[in-house]
Amino acid sequence: MTRLPPARAHRAAARRPRVAVAAAALALLVPAMLTAQQRPPYPTEPPPPAPLTPAQFPPFQQATLANGLKLVVVESHDQPVLSLSLAMPAGSAYDPAGKEGLAAMVAGLLDKGAGQRTAEEIAATIEGVGGTLGAGAGADFLTARASVLSNDADLAFTLLGDVVLRPTFPEQEVELARTQTLSGLQLELSQPASLAERFFDANLYGQHPYARHPTPESIRAITRDDLVAYQRARLRPQGALLVVAGDISLADARQRAERIFGGWTGTAPEGAAFPTPPQRTRTEIVLVHRPGSVQSNIVVGNTTFGPASPLRPASNVANQVLGGGSDSRLFMILREQKGWTYGAYSSFARPLGVGAFQASAEVRTAVTDSALREMLTQLRRLRSEPVPAMELEAAKGSLIGSFPLTVETAAQIAGAVSNALLYGLGTDYLHDYRTNLAAVTAADVAKVAQTAIRPDSALIVVVGDATKLYDQLQAIAPVRLVNAQGDPLTPADLTPKASSVTLDPRRLAVGSDSFVVMLQGKPFGYQTSVTARAPDGGYTVTETTVLGPVGTQHTTLTFTDRLAMRRVEQSGTMQGQAMKTDVAYANGKATGTAATPQPPTGQVQTVAVSADVPAGAIDDNAVVALLPTLPWTADAKLTLPVFAAGSNALQMQTFAVTGTEPVTVPLGTFPAYRVEVTGGQAPVTYWIEQAAPHRVLKIAPAGAPITVERAR
Amino acid sequence: MPRSTTALAGGLLVLAASLGAQQPGRIATESYSLPNGLTVVLAEDHSAQVVAVDVWYNVGSRNERPGRTGFAHLFEHMMFQGSANVAKGEHMALLERAGASFNGSTTEDRTNYFEAVPSNRLNLALWLEADRMRSLAVTDSNFDNQREAVKEERRLRVDNQPYMAAIFEQTYGAFDSTSCFPYAHSIIGSMDDLNAAKTPDVKAFFDLYYAPNNATLVVTGDFQPAEAKRLIEQYFGGIPRGQAPPPVTCEQSYTPGLQRRRVVDEKANLPAVVQVYRVPAYDDADMPALELLATILGQGESSRLNRALARDAKVAAAAQTMLNPFGPRRGPGIFLFFTIANQGVAVDTLDRLLTEQIARIGREGITPEELTKAQNSYRADLIFGRQTALSTAEALHTARMFLGSPEAVNTQLERYMKVTADDIRRVAAKYLRPENAFILIITTKDVTS
Repeated sequence: MTRLPPARAHRAAARRPRVAVAAAALALLVPAMLTAQQRPPYPTEPPPPAPLTPAQFPPFQQATLANGLKLVVVESHDQPVLSLSLAMPAGSAYDPAGKEGLAAMVAGLLDKGAGQRTAEEIAATIEGVGGTLGAGAGADFLTARASVLSNDADLAFTLLGDVVLRPTFPEQEVELARTQTLSGLQLELSQPASLAERFFDANLYGQHPYARHPTPESIRAITRDDLVAYQRARLRPQGALLVVAGDISLADARQRAERIFGGWTGTAPEGAAFPTPPQRTRTEIVLVHRPGSVQSNIVVGNTTFGPASPLRPASNVANQVLGGGSDSRLFMILREQKGWTYGAYSSFARPLGVGAFQASAEVRTAVTDSALREMLTQLRRLRSEPVPAMELEAAKGSLIGSFPLTVETAAQIAGAVSNALLYGLGTDYLHDYRTNLAAVTAADVAKVAQTAIRPDSALIVVVGDATKLYDQLQAIAPVRLVNAQGDPLTPADLTPKASSVTLDPRRLAVGSDSFVVMLQGKPFGYQTSVTARAPDGGYTVTETTVLGPVGTQHTTLTFTDRLAMRRVEQSGTMQGQAMKTDVAYANGKATGTAATPQPPTGQVQTVAVSADVPAGAIDDNAVVALLPTLPWTADAKLTLPVFAAGSNALQMQTFAVTGTEPVTVPLGTFPAYRVEVTGGQAPVTYWIEQAAPHRVLKIAPAGAPITVERAR
Repeated sequence: MPRSTTALAGGLLVLAASLGAQQPGRIATESYSLPNGLTVVLAEDHSAQVVAVDVWYNVGSRNERPGRTGFAHLFEHMMFQGSANVAKGEHMALLERAGASFNGSTTEDRTNYFEAVPSNRLNLALWLEADRMRSLAVTDSNFDNQREAVKEERRLRVDNQPYMAAIFEQTYGAFDSTSCFPYAHSIIGSMDDLNAAKTPDVKAFFDLYYAPNNATLVVTGDFQPAEAKRLIEQYFGGIPRGQAPPPVTCEQSYTPGLQRRRVVDEKANLPAVVQVYRVPAYDDADMPALELLATILGQGESSRLNRALARDAKVAAAAQTMLNPFGPRRGPGIFLFFTIANQGVAVDTLDRLLTEQIARIGREGITPEELTKAQNSYRADLIFGRQTALSTAEALHTARMFLGSPEAVNTQLERYMKVTADDIRRVAAKYLRPENAFILIITTKDVTS
């Protein structure tokens, strides 16, 4: 029998230090009444802030090595830890045109083989001392970082030197990184919020490199030689900044830096004269058609001043009032009062070249115009009305108060100092950060809003179902309509047309197929499909899909003898939720019900399906089954009306052959057409056997790091 | 502070054994109690302009009685719903406007509430904690809507996620619910119990467990002790002492002998094996070796199980270990193995290979490199954690509740550094053996055959 000890209060009391024992004894001697009388009254209001103590940001010391590398040391011996951050002007702004994503790929590969070590050896070495190592690329800078206990300073400097100066870019790691980048990119392209950001940057910055983002084509175009050349050309000591924070002296850090980085040579990387972004004189809406979207993603903004402006503190306060948090105007009005949105925020981006202001929200389709009008109203109000004192103090309090929490650890301090110096904010920036914010007045906020927030010459991007949005947005500002690839559309393109593509039933092979579902190159699930003739001469296709622990799905498709849709029945579970779809096609209509996961929560909702569909329309669940029956040639570009019951939306999807290449799947290696599908909610790539009957060999859907590959 | 000779000698030995190994900076603490029983621990550190206020109530799911489960966790929600001088929603708004970060959490052994604030808002964090300790709004409407919030949390985190019901709930089957109810039921509790509860039951729970004599307040970081003590006295001093809560008992915690259960998880599409081994309380001398063993076996890419089961034999899609998944315990704990079978691998094959890997440790032990790596990783995590006021506050609470004194925070690392490879083999043989195992075989709802 064991009896658990009670709370350890007794033992703790026994070990109480001497002073406290005396205090407690005294407290026992004093009658409770007397204590109560002496105690100041309990406040019934929140106590006001105590005065700010003067900032005591650790001072930092600077040195420059002979090769031009700048060294900053923030000495702090509170704990035996050390954080290194080495930044170089090699961010994504320097990606060559057509190779967008190069800087990020270089950063990701630096620790995947360097000096004499393989990727596994580097990981085991740094994990073996409980440290961390990694690198990343922002718009302007590529930064490599290491954190260790200070006894492992040698190891940290050595590894940081190896990964920046001597990365090996092993072929196998390059291909793994490419696969992972493409998976991540597919996910990004499938998400409307990411799509909105991409269109915003592209239209705001014009020819400036901040406009550009990686695409699947640019990632595929990057070669190992490109990675090596970029590392040689841009990771140079001139313009680089090494910040060492923690348990180390300047002399020690300098000696180590000389030893590891002293032999690093090279002239300053080429600067680039970036073109100026377009000037806007009136507000324009770019409407990105995302057929069937149940939500709209809105971004409103304009270019503005860069990082080192004296307006910076006032702009921080203006942003906090408007949309910096869940206590700000956009969130309180659009979400708490109106219930239109899942979230609404604003921000200033301040890269080196050209800054940008933006306000963004994700709203239900039906309230898109109301939400956009309200956002514009709030931007104008910030320019015209002084911010009330209470609101101003709350905004300043939040910004000033949270600052110390962002510079608590050596790694946080190294990052903050590095940013202040790289962006030219001055050596006093961090020291004066809170007092500069405290000095901001309501007049300063109005003034900065009038300069930096321009609702009447703004760029507005809306990603959503243009069939429902085009007219309502035209009433706000001129609308330019594009598809998700950025190609211009006319309002007439929004009306679906009858299919002009003839399907060939002879290629629908009766029998069974099977596919393996691969998750990042590992088997994760499977799909089987059985095609049979129905007694009346039509066709039935029965599919079962099992996606690892995520879900299962059974689908039965029925077609006429000429492959016109008859019915789709589907059931299954996805992440524990039951799904069910039953849609019949007859007389130019699709009718039934669909219970499928809905964005943004992924919760299953049941929707009644009733839509007019043009002749030749196919259900989105039937696409894979019917692909072999399309008239494939090396330059085929086929447009079909596709009906998605889950979102009750008809989409004109384009199936374009973008290349011929061999593809290897578990069944074998085959010459294939590479087919890119656009016009749906997210892009998909198919590989289809060149020879008839044009079997589907491989499917790479956007938005999931998976591929489906033919096994039989 | 005097230190005993034995402790000093032990410390020197450890230092010699791990020559050059680094120690975290020493934390100087001051502890005292208010007349109403509130324990206060102060640890001043002016390295950053941040103060952490961290209140632990000595109540967790271990204090719940049959028919009244889920109360401790429900209270974590109730505590953010307002009090006599703080309107609904105002608690969070006041903290956000101060630039604070804050939260709360519930384990088997304790419930915590914490704020990290800029140093000039120490008064706000203390006042908000005092106001809810003295006058929480235990109303019908708050209770009803927080009960719904808990149900929603359960749907999202337990019911809708594959394998989570096994880890959140079924692992408690390792302990006997008649003789050791405190550790034989889950933290989230029974929804039937919550549905049956009435507001007076909730009020009684609050009065019993949320009294100052059942709480410990830790303040760490950038503050002046005299000022902190003055504020603590002013805000907390007038809160009346409560009844002493009844002791928690766990007699004969489990029936010896291998227990196996097969459960169907409708959310799961791959079968899984969960092996649970009972381990002693946190302060037991064997626990540091068990914790290092958990790291060696199942934490990270290069861990034993990941290499053997996932990379080499390819029988597992995932393999990891957890020692007391929700936090340390003063009563019996669990050492948990969680493995998911690869497509096409029979679940019993995975169970057999996992058992074999575990048995190998007891027979053959581990390599010195594995031990050094696990110790380095523990030490680095501990030292990196000391950089923030909040993680230091949590470390002080842990030392006080589970090792008997906040000062134990300064000797915590030694417990881990003196573990030898022989200790690891010994504890593996002692605890990770079939007679001490509770095995859950999770099968899928087969829809394809």
